[in-house]
Amino acid sequence: MSDEGSGQITEFIQGEKEPESSYVVIMIGVVSMLSFLVLYGVLYPGRDMPVVSELLPMFEGVFDSGIWFFLLGAMLGVFAIVATMLAEATSE
Amino acid sequence: MNDIISTMSIFWLLMVISFILIKRGLSIFNDVAKTMGMFMLEKALGPAIDFVQGKPGSASKTWILHGMIWAMVASILTFEGLWLSHDPTALHSLGSWGYSPDSQDLIYAGRFAALFGAVGMMVIGAGLHVIPSLSGTKLASESNATLVSLLWTFSVLILVIGAHSKEILGINFIMLGTVLQTLAMMAIILNQLLTISNATRPMAIPGWLIIFGLIGDPAAVLSVILSGAYETGVGQWLVYHMIGGTFFFCGVAGVSLYASSMGSGNPLWSRTLVGVTLFGAIIAINPMGETDMSMAVDMLGLEASEIAASSQDHISGSFLMALAAIPIIAFSSNLLVTLRGNGAFVGNSDSPGIAEMNMGAWMLIPIAIGSLFVQTDALGGAGELSGIAQSLDLLALWAVLIPLSLGASLYVLPQASGRKVMSSNRSRAAFWLMSGGAVAGLTFTIMADLNDMALAEALAENSSSITDELRTLGSVVFYGTVLGSIFHCTNVISGQFRGEMIDDEMQSSTTLTPQTYELANSATVRKIMAGGATLDTEIVPVTQSEEAGSATEL
Repeated sequence: MSDEGSGQITEFIQGEKEPESSYVVIMIGVVSMLSFLVLYGVLYPGRDMPVVSELLPMFEGVFDSGIWFFLLGAMLGVFAIVATMLAEATSE
Repeated sequence: MNDIISTMSIFWLLMVISFILIKRGLSIFNDVAKTMGMFMLEKALGPAIDFVQGKPGSASKTWILHGMIWAMVASILTFEGLWLSHDPTALHSLGSWGYSPDSQDLIYAGRFAALFGAVGMMVIGAGLHVIPSLSGTKLASESNATLVSLLWTFSVLILVIGAHSKEILGINFIMLGTVLQTLAMMAIILNQLLTISNATRPMAIPGWLIIFGLIGDPAAVLSVILSGAYETGVGQWLVYHMIGGTFFFCGVAGVSLYASSMGSGNPLWSRTLVGVTLFGAIIAINPMGETDMSMAVDMLGLEASEIAASSQDHISGSFLMALAAIPIIAFSSNLLVTLRGNGAFVGNSDSPGIAEMNMGAWMLIPIAIGSLFVQTDALGGAGELSGIAQSLDLLALWAVLIPLSLGASLYVLPQASGRKVMSSNRSRAAFWLMSGGAVAGLTFTIMADLNDMALAEALAENSSSITDELRTLGSVVFYGTVLGSIFHCTNVISGQFRGEMIDDEMQSSTTLTPQTYELANSATVRKIMAGGATLDTEIVPVTQSEEAGSATEL
């Protein structure tokens, strides 16, 4: 082993490709979130969700058709295009 | 009075005059016209022209990217329109913002966005690459063509707004959009004509299809005005179909025939069939489209009239529509056989767009035949099939025109910009979503239309629940088209930044013009093919001198 530490990384670097395991971590996060939501329903049956239950009534009469689920998807798509343009144009 | 024959005669005459003028020029006024044309395209615009780059390929790239984004907008508007046909109050909450569209408004806006935004911009964009490429020259003014794309996009935006509310603040928005679009169209026509005037070799026929597609649009309007038929329902119906048969059909045919050959690497199967496509498209009346010609009426600012065709009009119109089967079958078969020339086909991951063109060519003939029945019925005044006219028009748009123009654009864009799409796999997934959503979704909608027609004929008092279920299913399945268009957009935009660079050899190769291959020694067919030769390449034997060599004299 070298005393000079030639093997040490002297500046910040990151890989070009995303490792497969990082997606596993994200999926674990999503599954955990859903599990806790279910757990809340089991532990406190009949009780509204904190914060969320106060926000949802604001949208009553607005998103009262199934079309909004699809339109939300389309909006996400439009934002994805805008985000792609911004990210690609500003990336190194 | 036979409105159809008189209007078509003027149209044919205008097209012949255009062809002669393009081929023969303006005699002693040639140089003056060219100089004036270039001045109008560049210097006359003042500082505005400096806003855009004149980099080779930039115009084509800009038009195609705009077209793809309009395809996405059009798919969202059409999806909403289809949904509201079974759930009219789905978007009522937007009424608090002053926006309360109904199903017809959204479908009408979607048609403007799809026809003039998506198909129009992709065809013009691909044409800006194809014409210079086939002429062996550069586009006359890249800067002007790039700048004009913004004007065209703005005009489509105004048309989409006008489709919801024709008059805003006392301004007729559809007319305003048409005026702006006409300006942009004139600039593009002038640009392309100046490009042809600098041609270094005879242009192949797909190029002429694009040129006549561009010229056919103003020529159709001019001919209906000159014949005076614009005030009659038949004249208004005719101009709608003449524009459909020239600008849209010829334009789409020109760019897709070029892209099918270049993308698959096969020579164009038949030059005669391309000629038949061009000649037939001008002579015949294209049956595809709506029976309601309100789009043409609104764009030209006319008073809408009912179709009251005389027996002569009915006979001549039906005959000319039936005649359209010739160019349609010629184009479809030529495209399909060209694509199948060798192993390069739907599975060729290097050629995104091939699958779209293949699908468009397959769907063209059945949809054209269906449209022929619907239009003949409408022209005769019976209107028995008018219930499916709108859905059939949407099917022609989403299963023929958009796939063909999108397929050609997916081939042309990398050639113009120098970069491929980001992922061929995502491109293929987007194709399946788009085509599956359009064909299945609109087929369910047509089934619902047929159900409604049967109930109306039986004088049923209550509507059937199955109609609503079919319309729900149709709109949900059509959502695949929305997803597919979004995937295409993100894929193409990312590709412009990080896509694989195409090599120079790919950029310069052409299979439309047979090349020559000089053969000095015996060689295997494999070696000749590997040298870039195709089945149409002429092999020229080069004789060798038997004389002894000597030193080169200086």
